[in-house]
Amino acid sequence: MDEAVIVGAEIVAGHDGAAELLVRLRHPNGVEAPVVLDEATGLKLMAACGASHVDDLKGQSWRRIVEAS
Amino acid sequence: MFDVIVRNGLVVDGSGSPGYLGDVAVKDGKIAAMGQNLGEAHRTVEAQGRVVAPGFIDPHTHFDVQLLWDGAARPALEHGITCVVPGNCSLSLAPLKIADRPRLIGMFQQIEEMPPEAFTQAFEWTWEDFAGYRDALEKDLSINVAPLVGHSVIRLWVMGPAAQERAATEAEIAAMQDLLRECLEAGAVGLSTSFVDVDENGRPVPSRFAQYEELDALCAVLGEFGRMLQCVPEFYATDITLARIDQLAELSLKHAIPTTFSPLFDTLAVPDNAERAIARVEEQFARGARVWPQMQTRPIDISFSLLRPSLFFARLPRWVRILRQPMTERLAALRDPATVEKMVADCGPDGGETMMGRLVARGGDACPAELVGKTLSQIARDRGQAPARALIDLSLEHGLDVAFLSASAGHQSTDRIGPMLAHPLVHIGASDGGAHLASFSTYGDTGYLFSEFVRKAGAMSLEQAVAKITAETADIWGLKDRGRLQPGLAADIVVFDADTIARGDERPAFDMPGDGMRYVRSARGIDTVLVNGQVAYTAGAYTDARAGVVCV
Repeated sequence: MDEAVIVGAEIVAGHDGAAELLVRLRHPNGVEAPVVLDEATGLKLMAACGASHVDDLKGQSWRRIVEAS
Repeated sequence: MFDVIVRNGLVVDGSGSPGYLGDVAVKDGKIAAMGQNLGEAHRTVEAQGRVVAPGFIDPHTHFDVQLLWDGAARPALEHGITCVVPGNCSLSLAPLKIADRPRLIGMFQQIEEMPPEAFTQAFEWTWEDFAGYRDALEKDLSINVAPLVGHSVIRLWVMGPAAQERAATEAEIAAMQDLLRECLEAGAVGLSTSFVDVDENGRPVPSRFAQYEELDALCAVLGEFGRMLQCVPEFYATDITLARIDQLAELSLKHAIPTTFSPLFDTLAVPDNAERAIARVEEQFARGARVWPQMQTRPIDISFSLLRPSLFFARLPRWVRILRQPMTERLAALRDPATVEKMVADCGPDGGETMMGRLVARGGDACPAELVGKTLSQIARDRGQAPARALIDLSLEHGLDVAFLSASAGHQSTDRIGPMLAHPLVHIGASDGGAHLASFSTYGDTGYLFSEFVRKAGAMSLEQAVAKITAETADIWGLKDRGRLQPGLAADIVVFDADTIARGDERPAFDMPGDGMRYVRSARGIDTVLVNGQVAYTAGAYTDARAGVVCV
């Protein structure tokens, strides 16, 4: 089944002064859209994906985000 | 005989019209006359060509608690702010039953980062209803206050713990309507709600459990008074923000109310975010809706320490792995020379100069005072180390409790933001004054507007900038007596030097109850501030004037 996948991620400045993770998802219809995760969730996502660099998130399923939330 | 005359100033009256040389006379708290050769007064303020403008209005603050022991909302007043709007983001200190205080304190601590002593030692908590809070506020105000009432506390009052568990019943919604009506009659200038905030346990605040029918019903009550709905939308999630704008527009049109959402950020990571939001706002205004996006002037800084893992290191795999470890293992790794050597090497052949050299040691924690404000590059040079190694060693020497700041990490492009701030439908605000105390300073955004966007970038004229944060703000919020220099209106006046007005450097201050720390910025270029005709700040010092009121 087609599903949204992570095609990129980068660090952005959150409004509360923390670094946040902006994850870009590509949906099955080709549309790309960002999702912003707070610092704790972003770190959990990286840990869950075994990622030690933001680029390691590429190709991961959007479901990983739900699991980290 | 007038009470006060401000003489020989460049009068910029808030309307956006060109400034002119003249005097402004004050009597009984109101502006009594404007022009030249107005006569005598008990007190004269010599403006000497400096700008004489209406006091600035800050429409997004969290001074709800601080105002109870500091009626000047320091340092907001010294920056020329004469009216603040607290109660944003669904949270206010009333109406609130005694039994619900601990729950609300947790939410406030999460958002404001205020020490618990602020709620237990700094004021006498005498009220439950909004009128009681207003009475407590008005006892000692130097600054004017236009308070919002929070959706979350209204929910909490009516539903108790269920406010953070479920949707409301019809009867509960009706009770919330009655309660909101009571608050508006007692002086609230609108309702705030939030779609993003969480409490100290990471649970959504009560307003986030409301269904559309509840918000619609509350807006019907706002419509009876023509009052504001403020909300916090989802950050950077452009499509959801657009949906929120549409939702606010429907509420605005249906109930004939103004609405505002804050903050709207620009970010290079999603370069069309603010642009698309503003375009949608234009479309909705064209339909007759009023949906004001609030945009802050200051850039966003990121701060971190090695006490906790931070995404700041998310491009350094080894650092991420080490900082993720429990404290004992983390300290062991940071003390291991071989590991540190590899960590430093990861930061590039210059030892992290490019990657980390511009980080600033913040202070307010265990950082030695002599290092506060210095760049990591300077500190490393003084220590004879590479910056990455200096960061690790300095942290280790102080229990990892040394915070570093990466300045202007977001909302930082003056060239992009200037035209947006100047846009007629963009509301300058979202300072968050009084919040995020231990993370960054929320003061001085108005000074930064003039130094960065008027003087440096030329994105707007002096008169436009003044109008944006005075008359336009008053009009948006329906504050009829404020925002303009005009005979008959309240004499809220700021005298400042157009060539030097700015925000000072960020510094830690230990002036919160219980010796709590916060970051602040002093004002630059502000000469005198009058609130309701009384000099509240002049020549770098606050006065004993207590002329502030709850204004509507």
